[in-house]
Amino acid sequence: MAMEDIKKAIVEFAETNKKTKFYFKDIEKAVQKVIPDAKMREIKKACTELINDGTLIYFSTGSSTMYGLKGRGMTEDPE
Amino acid sequence: MAFEPKEPQKEIKYSEMRIYTDEELNNYTEEELKNFKIKHDIPDLEELEKGPWPSFVSDAKQGALHRRKLADDRMLIDRDVIEDMLGQLQVSFNDGETHWKHGGIVGVFGYGGGVIGRYSDLPEKFPSIAHFHTIRVNQPASKFYNTDFLRTICDLWEYRGSGMMNLHGSTGDLVLLGTTTEQLEPIFFELTNELDQDLGGSGSNLRTPSCCIGKARCEFACYDTQDLSYELTTYYQDELHRPAFPYKFKFKFDGCPNGCVASIARADMSFIGTWRDEIRIDQDAVQGYIAGDFAPNGGAFAGRDWGKFDIQKEVIDLCPSKCMKYEDGVLTIDNSECVRCMHCINTMPRALKPGKDTGISILCGAKAPILEGAQMSTLIVPFMKLEPPYDNVKEFIEKVWEFWMEEGKNRERLGELIQRFGLPKFLEIMELPPAPQMVKMPRENPYIFWKEEDVPGGWDRDIKDYRARHKR
Ligand code: HEM
Ligand code: HEM
Ligand code: SF4
Ligand code: SF4
Repeated sequence: MAMEDIKKAIVEFAETNKKTKFYFKDIEKAVQKVIPDAKMREIKKACTELINDGTLIYFSTGSSTMYGLKGRGMTEDPE
Repeated sequence: MAFEPKEPQKEIKYSEMRIYTDEELNNYTEEELKNFKIKHDIPDLEELEKGPWPSFVSDAKQGALHRRKLADDRMLIDRDVIEDMLGQLQVSFNDGETHWKHGGIVGVFGYGGGVIGRYSDLPEKFPSIAHFHTIRVNQPASKFYNTDFLRTICDLWEYRGSGMMNLHGSTGDLVLLGTTTEQLEPIFFELTNELDQDLGGSGSNLRTPSCCIGKARCEFACYDTQDLSYELTTYYQDELHRPAFPYKFKFKFDGCPNGCVASIARADMSFIGTWRDEIRIDQDAVQGYIAGDFAPNGGAFAGRDWGKFDIQKEVIDLCPSKCMKYEDGVLTIDNSECVRCMHCINTMPRALKPGKDTGISILCGAKAPILEGAQMSTLIVPFMKLEPPYDNVKEFIEKVWEFWMEEGKNRERLGELIQRFGLPKFLEIMELPPAPQMVKMPRENPYIFWKEEDVPGGWDRDIKDYRARHKR
């Protein structure tokens, strides 16, 4: 159940933020604002599940990686 | 001792997996190569072919000619990719700036690393490289391959990619340079299912761990670098493939302080083999070197007469801590002063060997100069014994990661974080006592301070009691 809440918080954050790409840390902070006792590992697990079900996608520059909502401002092409 | 794989190994036979015939692989003559012109003018790149050294431009031209002569249905991405890559590079030389866009959302399913999206920003001019992604393939420990594997992967990459590779990237990894988005999943499938081969790391995750040749061939190895590298690679698969770190993180494993993978300069966490007992001395072999029976440095200084071996000049005087003596035909070492520089052992490997009570030192924080200048790793754990499954090492790693993931800013390397907090604070968080081995020069880096709770009686003193013993 807690996992579902964390996932919901992640999606809400990603949908409402002005930006379209997020560092894991920003996601972590946003989730903890809503669910203060959410642990970093749980948030990472939730992100992985959202990646696996296709809700989130990775954006990588090669040196660092960010997350984004599929279809929201993120196309395969970087520009 | 024969090699015993930890898991059943798939036997890869090139004869069964090959895509191309010998004629297809060797499909042009030297004469054709000499007369070959690619479709773009690349005068500056051709400058790089001059001189006695090898040139990637010459290599790329061979690949380009090879692709020109392959039949249409014998490659799945555009024939011209190498020619366009060279053409775009010439434009970059003209303009003084790159024409690759940075990053993208390509990847393979479930993985956040291993594929790096690359797109040309001149797609009209160079259409074949509009998408030209890089794939990193996790190298085996110490980079031992057999030719069946290498040939198979070369065929696969010629067929589904540009055919261009880079062995190896500085993190390790066989780097496959350039393919389209559609080819990523098929290549991933072939690699994992047919070649039993995983992708490496990229982005904000654990990068492909890499180790020196270690006990496989080197008698200096103080621990089994391959085993530790393999164990941590498999144990930390999630960290390798699903990025959630503030930035990249690299492990490297050197079997001894010679540092053949340069872990101290290139890894956020460097594991360097060492010993805590005494350097083993074979006095007869010392005499052998002095008498000229054995070539010093394993014969590395050949090809010229360097004169008779002089143990005083070449070993004793060069010991950085001046802890060796040669008197009355006997070599002695004050091991408490030895800094494990390896010089004496490298010079006289038959006579001197690392001690028998071996383990590792762990250093943290090396990085290249993006922020704050380049930095070497700093000694954090002077000595740790090793035994599979290396629970003590894992415990340390996870403590460091926890701290870094909690406190690290986006894109802040561990070394920068330690600098920002200061080493005393880092040691405190790691629950490690400061040790003299961590200090190079006391007046240069005096970062070990007393805290009130460390001092009997704290900061307060009874001034009367003090004055009873110390007159004004
Ligand atoms: C214009 C004149 C001077 C300037 C600009 C100057 C500047 C400095 C500076 C920048 C330091 C280093 C401080 C630190 O690292 O914390 C220093 C240290 C020192 N100076 Fe001067 N100084 C001057 C004159 C003198 C004179 C006249 C003496 C002695 C007669 C002196 C004795 C010392 C000593 C002993 C130290 C070392 C202090 C320590 O290590 O704790 N200085 N000075
Ligand atoms: C009875 C005479 C003296 C006494 C009791 C005395 C005492 C001290 C003490 C307690 C310190 C601090 C040491 C530390 O914190 O590490 C010191 C530092 C120093 N004293 Fe004196 N001192 C005396 C005479 C002198 C004289 C005559 C000079 C120079 C002409 C001098 C130059 C210095 C310097 C340069 C330092 C700084 C050393 C450093 O930080 O490396 N002292 N002294
Ligand atoms: S680092 Fe040391 S143990 Fe490893 S290969 Fe080099 S000399 Fe041998
Ligand atoms: S290893 Fe280096 S420091 Fe140690 S005794 Fe040999 S030369 Fe000296």
